[in-house]
Amino acid sequence: MDNLEKDITDSLAENTNIISAILGDSADINKREFSFGQLKGVCFFAAGLANTDQVSTIVRSFAVFGEHQDASGNRTIQAISRSLILNTSVETKTKINDGIKGILSGDTLVLLDGYKEYLLVETKGWDKRGVEEPSTENVVRGPRDGFTEDIRTNTSHIRRRIKNPDLRFDEMTIGDKTNTSINIAYLNGTVKKGLVEEIKSRLSRIKIDGVLESGYIEELIQDAPLSPFSTIQSTERPDKVSAALLEGRAAILVDNTPFALIMPSYFWEQLQAPDDYYNNFWMGTFFRMLRYFAFLTSVLLPSAYVMLISFHQEMIPTRLAFTIASGREVVPFPVLFEALIMELAFELMREAGLRMPKPVGQAVSIVGSLIIGQSAVQAGLISPFMVIIIAITGISSFAIPSYSTSFSIRLLRFPMLIASGTMGLLGFTCAFFMVMIHVLSIRSFGEPFFSPIAPFSASEHKDILVRVPWWAMVKRPRTASGELRRLGAGQKPKPPSTSEERHEGE
Amino acid sequence: MKVNKIFIVILVISLLSGCGKRQINELALVSAVGIDQGSSPNSVRVTVQVVRPADARGQTGAPAGGTGEPIYSVQAEGKTIFEAIRNLARFSSRRVYWAHNFIIVINEKFARAGIADMIDFFTRNPELRMNTWIAATPNPASEVVSTITGLEVVPGEAVDKLFRYNEIVSEAPRTNMTRLQESYLNEYTHPVLARLELKNRGISNKKPEEFGSLKQIELSGTAVFKHDKMVGWLNRAQSRALLLFIENVDSGIEVITCPDLPNQDATLEVKSQSLHVKPIASGSVPSFHVDVSSRVELSESGCLATFNEMRGYLEEQMGNRVKEQIESLLAAAQKKYKVDILKLGEIYENEYPSEWRRIRDDWEDIFPQVQITIDSRAELTSAVLKITKKKIPRG
Repeated sequence: MDNLEKDITDSLAENTNIISAILGDSADINKREFSFGQLKGVCFFAAGLANTDQVSTIVRSFAVFGEHQDASGNRTIQAISRSLILNTSVETKTKINDGIKGILSGDTLVLLDGYKEYLLVETKGWDKRGVEEPSTENVVRGPRDGFTEDIRTNTSHIRRRIKNPDLRFDEMTIGDKTNTSINIAYLNGTVKKGLVEEIKSRLSRIKIDGVLESGYIEELIQDAPLSPFSTIQSTERPDKVSAALLEGRAAILVDNTPFALIMPSYFWEQLQAPDDYYNNFWMGTFFRMLRYFAFLTSVLLPSAYVMLISFHQEMIPTRLAFTIASGREVVPFPVLFEALIMELAFELMREAGLRMPKPVGQAVSIVGSLIIGQSAVQAGLISPFMVIIIAITGISSFAIPSYSTSFSIRLLRFPMLIASGTMGLLGFTCAFFMVMIHVLSIRSFGEPFFSPIAPFSASEHKDILVRVPWWAMVKRPRTASGELRRLGAGQKPKPPSTSEERHEGE
Repeated sequence: MKVNKIFIVILVISLLSGCGKRQINELALVSAVGIDQGSSPNSVRVTVQVVRPADARGQTGAPAGGTGEPIYSVQAEGKTIFEAIRNLARFSSRRVYWAHNFIIVINEKFARAGIADMIDFFTRNPELRMNTWIAATPNPASEVVSTITGLEVVPGEAVDKLFRYNEIVSEAPRTNMTRLQESYLNEYTHPVLARLELKNRGISNKKPEEFGSLKQIELSGTAVFKHDKMVGWLNRAQSRALLLFIENVDSGIEVITCPDLPNQDATLEVKSQSLHVKPIASGSVPSFHVDVSSRVELSESGCLATFNEMRGYLEEQMGNRVKEQIESLLAAAQKKYKVDILKLGEIYENEYPSEWRRIRDDWEDIFPQVQITIDSRAELTSAVLKITKKKIPRG
């Protein structure tokens, strides 16, 4: 494989042999030899990756050249590439290595007899999935386009939203075997100082054979690798990435996955949805509060219920205590066990519904809800209250917009449940505090994860618990560099003043 | 490894704890408790009303066996209250759980013998709440506790609601554990308790001709204590007057004979009443001036006279009525029972702390001699638009 580092020679046959040897006789590598007049050459391209129309354009242009030109030796290869090739992008190279990489990413390598350089013509054109609505983060009001598997399509989504020369995509290649291209997107001059350098240094540390999804990168550069919380946000939505870039953050786009990574990421932002910013700010605030409530419910509700029922019966209002006691009258299990069974059943149903083909998935949910909701209660195995608690918990966890956060909550629920089921309020409080201490201690690319609540930053509270109207959101977060003001003065709409009106009337 | 150690600690704690704790459906939730004197004079008989959740809920959806009665009443005897309660465990299949108790009912006989140990027990135990109602009854407490009464499924809850909404009649003090202990611990003010009584009030749906065949619990009247021993009862009118001193009265009715027709009545509804006591320090025996003002509305009138004609008369009669009630109360407190249940000592102490210090040790002897003057006014504010004269042919 030491051939890879070599330059090509001026013998066409020798060069062809070297490249054929490197690529082997892989079924998808095509070789197109041509000979027009005195011009002899070979095109190498990967079938399926290269657009065959583009490849034939190259060959056709050589055919025209060969018919009208008697001598080719007096032309430099630069002249050929300038005056001959009709394709959009052509490079002249000598190293074999570059050519092989080019072929494998869809370009066409053109070897010409008698030249010590070769042409690398961009002919990328493979089958792509169309732009579709993202499947994880749905919005009612807002753009419907989502990222796809193609990194250039994805960068184009962002570029379309931010038509600014400061928007940069820095390219890196990671994966010894896969050679996956990775783009770091940021707004030059706005991005937090030192962030891009930090990301690059973390990325360049990665030595891995392959990167098939952005999750690989996420786990390899995360600040808190053992935490159930993810300190890097993944999203399928270009508008979310664009908003993050405008706030002075950076994003990593990985080829072959629709999930981009946003960093640094804060806890609160994982409970915020793009809708919050597109709808009326009252609604945005209300839904945001609702989601915070859903977060608390989905983490704490089952544990609180188990704790009350098995340890602190005096804390339940009397009438409710009678009702709960009557529901549990025939249940043979301790409440902790009952809760664990139900939680597992719920997770099982969710997982099965997800993995099954869509038409069968419905059957799973019907059977599941019928068995769990109806029969288990009628048979006296589960108390109706527990079904309600688990249902509320489940619905709450679905209300969390970030998929990875809703997973971390699911995981936290079980230790919380066991702690409060065995030690009551003490266990409940201890477990909750342990989670809080952990969350407060982790960072995301130098930013405290729980910021701006802790450490407290008053100026950023316009966009945490509430969402103030756009005309009041004057500044970017303080982490951004450059000009922090994002809004002109006096943007609040108001009716024309009376003096102006009178003036117009005259 | 630090993580391993933490994990082991958590595992050990969770395995070692949690034993012995009962789930909510493994508890006998007590909703009312009655205390009677036992078969021997020195013993106590405790009756508990335990909720049977499966039946207390009505339609459960789950198979519920049993008698269909919402409560399970049992009693046990012992030398002390705690022993009696422990003896309940001999036949109660579930642990007796007190935190949801609504009411403690004490039999008159037991109360007259002294309730000091009962107050101690019910305030010492952390499982018992300080906002539990307490009442005295002339009936056997066991009977009061085991009677199904009121509209609620659980009778204890019915009595709880009786206490909560008793401001409509305002005929009994709302005494709970906190108040009882407060006045019990106060050396100069004596406790009072509400009075519960079984009365034949309910009409059976199956035998409507037998009026009052069902017993119901009635909340009306007051039990007066001297320190921890009960000394007697106050009737309804006296209880109303007492409430003016120790609580707020914002409801109630008074029936007054018409000025023109001797066998017809006008009914006044009390909208608000306020009472101010002004202590006067004079020599060794203080005196007090009580100032009561009532705001009433005319709510039912059988009189011929118009509102304007009757107004002065009704206001005067109402004022006198309240004054009579207070006088009757003072007679009972000062002459009959000789206990300060009106918190007059407290009022005096707040106004004249140094004078109080001189007389407080003799307060028990001084209180019956205290002069109390009463000034009672009433204001009739609304006749609800009906001000015209009634037109009925004279028979």
